[in-house]
Amino acid sequence: MLFSEKTRTLDSILNADPVDSLFSDLLPTANNNLARHNFEVAPVKEATSFVKKWNNSCHENLKIKFNHGTTTLGFIYQGGVIVAVDSRATAGSYIASQTVKKVIEINPYLLGTMAGGAADCSFWERQLALQCRLHELRNKDRISVAAASKVLANMVYSYKGMGLSMGTMLAGWDKRGPGLYYVDNDGTRLKGKLFSVGSGSTYAYGVLDAEYDNELHDEAARELGRRAIYHAAHRDAMSGGFVSVYHVKEDGWEFVSRTDVAELHSIYKTDQFLPVS
Amino acid sequence: MSVLCPETPAPGFSFANCKRNALLESKGFPVPKATKTGTTIVGIIFKDGVILGADTRATEDTTVSDKNCEKIHYLAPNMYCCGAGTAADTEQTTQMISSQLELHRLFTNRVARVATANQMLKQYLFRYQGHIGAALVLGGVDSTGPHLYSIYPHGSTDKLPYTTMGSGSLAAMAVFESRWNPDLEEEEGVKLVRDAIAAGIFNDLGSGSNVDICIIRKGSVDYRRTFDEANKKGVRQSSYRYPKGTTAVLSSKTIDVEVVDVTVHPIEPEHMDTA
Amino acid sequence: MSLVQPEMRPHYPDYATAPTQHHFSPYADNGGSVVAIAGDDFVVIGADTRLSAGFSIYTRDQNKLFRLSDTTVLGCSGCWCDTLTLTRILTARMQMYQQEHNKVMTTPACAQMLSTMLYYKRFFPYYISNILVGLDNEGKGCVYSYDPIGHCEKATYRAGGSAGALLQPLLDNQIGLKNMQNVGDSKLSLERALAVLKDVFISAAERDIFTGDSILINVITKDGIQDYSFQLRKD
Repeated sequence: MLFSEKTRTLDSILNADPVDSLFSDLLPTANNNLARHNFEVAPVKEATSFVKKWNNSCHENLKIKFNHGTTTLGFIYQGGVIVAVDSRATAGSYIASQTVKKVIEINPYLLGTMAGGAADCSFWERQLALQCRLHELRNKDRISVAAASKVLANMVYSYKGMGLSMGTMLAGWDKRGPGLYYVDNDGTRLKGKLFSVGSGSTYAYGVLDAEYDNELHDEAARELGRRAIYHAAHRDAMSGGFVSVYHVKEDGWEFVSRTDVAELHSIYKTDQFLPVS
Repeated sequence: MSVLCPETPAPGFSFANCKRNALLESKGFPVPKATKTGTTIVGIIFKDGVILGADTRATEDTTVSDKNCEKIHYLAPNMYCCGAGTAADTEQTTQMISSQLELHRLFTNRVARVATANQMLKQYLFRYQGHIGAALVLGGVDSTGPHLYSIYPHGSTDKLPYTTMGSGSLAAMAVFESRWNPDLEEEEGVKLVRDAIAAGIFNDLGSGSNVDICIIRKGSVDYRRTFDEANKKGVRQSSYRYPKGTTAVLSSKTIDVEVVDVTVHPIEPEHMDTA
Repeated sequence: MSLVQPEMRPHYPDYATAPTQHHFSPYADNGGSVVAIAGDDFVVIGADTRLSAGFSIYTRDQNKLFRLSDTTVLGCSGCWCDTLTLTRILTARMQMYQQEHNKVMTTPACAQMLSTMLYYKRFFPYYISNILVGLDNEGKGCVYSYDPIGHCEKATYRAGGSAGALLQPLLDNQIGLKNMQNVGDSKLSLERALAVLKDVFISAAERDIFTGDSILINVITKDGIQDYSFQLRKD
């Protein structure tokens, strides 16, 4: 079946049902509604809760631990959107990595963030990137942040209750100007000016709400994002590693900085009450 | 009640935390794991006495917590006891029975019999219905000759000419079943016990490191700690010494000490009293 | 009209009458550890050769490194039956790619494919700790590590498997040179990488009961893949 794809033209791909063409069709067919994405499931009746059982602590010796991500934030201000994240991934109590890229570069105008299940976020935001590209080819125009977030929300909504775990923000710039949306695994989709997601979000909100101002100038806004993540990484055991900051402007996103939390700690401890604006 | 007259603690185990721990467990807090000696322990009777053997690995779950622990415990001058199961239980149980046997010996003015130790151990373990996780191989020589017992955590016992216990018991028993006979010389017996323990060390993941052996004859004991080093540790390829200045100095503080006065007391060297 | 009233009972869907599966246990932990270290123009990967179940050893001589191409090697530890299935499908997909595109799949492409293959089992995961190594398009050594459902991260060194949590801090210190001062940034040589690889396995065999017997090492350079083996303790 795969060999027939050689004859598939771009036109046929563009006209295909976007969902059906996501997976290679040589993979075996699953036994329920997962079939349309060709996800393989366990040959048991409660197939969708199978993996949850194995994540449970009752199977002490054979626990499947997934990597989880943690403090992310994004806010809109007069100069665009600031996105800042930490870089720690934990599997249970083990720090699986200190160098995870939690900002997913969907295209030059769109960024996604990663909180919750690392694999869930990276996979579905990759699918989103594919859909966004197809949208561009079909419509000869970039997808709006609103539309992109809705595509993502719809995709994960169709898996509701099956244990996907993601709390993501989509930040970008379109005809309406700067855009910021929150999308999670329940299918929640919210438009807003300021979000923080993950286990360290409460700490980040503390800093953010105290210092946020729409009229912040660029350097102060970037510093606010960096500092908010730093404080979350300092207090939250599940967050840490490096603080990455991105800035979305009219001409697309720009990578600003990536700093070790230990380095930030030595900087901030000397000027505890330095005003950020 | 007061500092002058403290309350004597009630004898036996304290169950004060049981209810709390059960509640914590039901809320998903894992119970801390005890050190288990996933073990190979063995014993045989040979021509002139008893030989006990044990490996020296202690594990906590899947990590090795002690690479050279002692699993052959002293009970009496003519009796030793190998322990498998929960490390703390085997140690405490054998120590307590050891003290009771010593009192028994002083009271009766006779060498304690192995059957007596066996009876004391099984009655003690049965009382706690298996909650004391001690699996033992008891061996000794008394006025009635050499004796070997295996004692299970629930209090049942076997009197046998050769026995094995612990997670490596099957590997060790395979060696005994093929090579043991009632008229073994001491040298052959020691070789057989070593091979049985080595079988456990290599084929059972819960057992490892070295072989300890204890030979009990009439009137003499030969405890050979690290009788055989079954495994040599790998030799490192490079050096892991850190040069000076590798550790960051985050802050430093200097305290100036003002010297007010200096006195010197000369001390004459003294010879050690060897009288 | 029937005199008998239709039975008043709640409606159950069909499947409720089927036999209930009370226990389905498709996973086993067969242990084993994998370590990979990348340099500027090479990458080394080593895996121990012990395959075990519970307290017993299946074999002391199991290769856990899979050559996917002349520049790509995958190291697997965890559930061995899952490893067999995954690597079989992976090899087939590599071959199909080669026949379809008339070129060998590059290491980065292979890394992405493995990620999606693992994620496609999101609801019935492979119980494997995967580490993929190879040379990238510029000939630089690279290491990709995965969680069981396909989260993929590119790194320069990585330890996985039963002794992963024991070995990773050692690598962070010796290869990553973390939290140290005045350590310089001299380039990692192949000799040093091999020595550290062997030494961390010596340490793992001391404390992890599932790691031991020996290690097989693959060294990947532009000249191809070289094999080495190294003995560990066997208890």
